[in-house]
Amino acid sequence: MLKLQDLTVDLAGTSVLRGVTAIAHVASTVAVVGRNGAGKTTLLRTIMGLAKAKQGRVLFDDEDLLHRPGHHRAELGIGYAPEDRVIFPTLSVEENLRLPCEVQALDTADIDDRLESVLTVVPQLKGMLDRSGSALSGGQGKMVALGRALMIGTRLVLLDEPFQGLAPALARQYGEALVRLRDVRPDLCVIITESNASLLMDIPSQTLTLERGALEAGAPAH
Amino acid sequence: MTLDLLILAAADGFSYAGLLFLVSLGLTLIFGVQGILNVAHGSLYAFGGYTAATLAIWATEKQAPTWVLLAALVAAALLVGVVLGGILEIGLLRRVQDKDPVLQLLVTFAAFLIFEDLQRLIWGVSPYSSTEVVSRMGNLDLFGITYTVYQLLLIPAVALAVYLGLLYALRRTRLGKQIVAVTHNREVATALGINAKKIGLITFIAGAFLGALGGAMAAPTTSLVPGVGTDMIVLSFSVVATAGLGQITGAFITALLIGMARSLAVYTAPELEVAVPYLIMVAVLLVRPNGLFTVAQARRI
Ligand SMILES: Nc1ncnc2c1ncn2[C@@H]1O[C@H](COP(=O)(O)OP(=O)(O)OP(=O)(O)O)[C@@H](O)[C@H]1O
Ligand SMILES: [Mg+2]
Repeated sequence: MLKLQDLTVDLAGTSVLRGVTAIAHVASTVAVVGRNGAGKTTLLRTIMGLAKAKQGRVLFDDEDLLHRPGHHRAELGIGYAPEDRVIFPTLSVEENLRLPCEVQALDTADIDDRLESVLTVVPQLKGMLDRSGSALSGGQGKMVALGRALMIGTRLVLLDEPFQGLAPALARQYGEALVRLRDVRPDLCVIITESNASLLMDIPSQTLTLERGALEAGAPAH
Repeated sequence: MTLDLLILAAADGFSYAGLLFLVSLGLTLIFGVQGILNVAHGSLYAFGGYTAATLAIWATEKQAPTWVLLAALVAAALLVGVVLGGILEIGLLRRVQDKDPVLQLLVTFAAFLIFEDLQRLIWGVSPYSSTEVVSRMGNLDLFGITYTVYQLLLIPAVALAVYLGLLYALRRTRLGKQIVAVTHNREVATALGINAKKIGLITFIAGAFLGALGGAMAAPTTSLVPGVGTDMIVLSFSVVATAGLGQITGAFITALLIGMARSLAVYTAPELEVAVPYLIMVAVLLVRPNGLFTVAQARRI
């Protein structure tokens, strides 16, 4: 469903991604593992249209996403949970969750259904719905960011270092949510970046290793 | 100072605070979304004023009823907001979006200078005014002093309505939430499907409209001369800086504070009139460098 072909990205004159080629299939969870500064965030930002590629293609259903502005991703069913969460502080948690769907002008019944399905995947959100987006701990923010990505990401979800900075108990809950996600939305394609592969346990169906902007030789890209 | 003078100063300050708030609100709204302090906002105020006066003079000649004169003020602000605001955003600000803030400031300052000359070209340098609507709306008695209904009631009412309407819109409407999201984080807002460019244009036009509305509402109460835009932009900078950039309720309270203080100074120590807003601003910024009303940022890791 998502194919990266020879993706090359320069940021501020230095080359950050160098000829990344990979495939992520429907119903798979792909881990992208790499050290700090390896280019994981840049890879996801490029897929999202937030960083400009110098060369290469990002094919989604055989359409090159690089020809589309960043804000078109949501409409294609692509969700994104950024590394630093960014939950809007003047909105409640529930409003934060609903926002990407409201932007797409989905009808309320549809949004209600999505919210319900997200709450079965991330039940921890139930108790926080009325809370202000400014009153969340870092870990809770990660949960909300996951929920928000799932609200709009019906086909592909990109999670940037979700386990980073989570206390062990929260990390376990987050992992359980990802396992439940497989059951609730079997067709979803999930891409997770992480610097510490062991945090991902056995969740990924495929692991790619990113090293200084290039995928390690031998990484399965079938 | 006699009680009469005090009441008069309070009424002046109250009315002026309404205008100041409208202009400052536009400035702070645009800064929130675009991250640009728009010096040309002062030109929008001036053009709003001159356009409103032009329409009012014409409508008065045609013996138009009072409501038409009032509608002409809003129409002038809309016209200036959409046309000049649109030209500024699409032609200029959009092109310097990711550039150095100093360059952005210079570019809007250049636009301001161009508009200032344009305004002299169109309306000349002699005072320009049409006070018809103020006299038609009459006066009222306030503890023994007489004051115009237009200044004492209409201007503050418009400011209050704009304030409440904007709070509601940002909190509850789809467009408003998108403006909030872009203000907070443009990139993540984009990832959530928000067209930040479009939201930027809409916000800029809304902010430009508010600046022009300030000018249009002021027009019937004063004589317009070259330089009105400069006075207003400088004063609204001090409101926005004192309140904290992007603070709407803060701007509301600060505009009232600065408006009142300025007008008290006019009556008690006229030589201080010009300095008072800055004294307040400096005092506040010494104690709270990010402004009176800036709350702690949402937690980051
Ligand atoms: N906006 C930018 N301008 C210039 N260089 C950048 C920019 N963003 C990232 N880089 C550089 O690109 C490289 C990859 O950064 P990136 O954030 O993608 O890494 P990462 O794998 O996500 O790291 P981390 O694990 O710390 O999140 C780094 O060397 C970084 O310094
Ligand atoms: Mg990163």
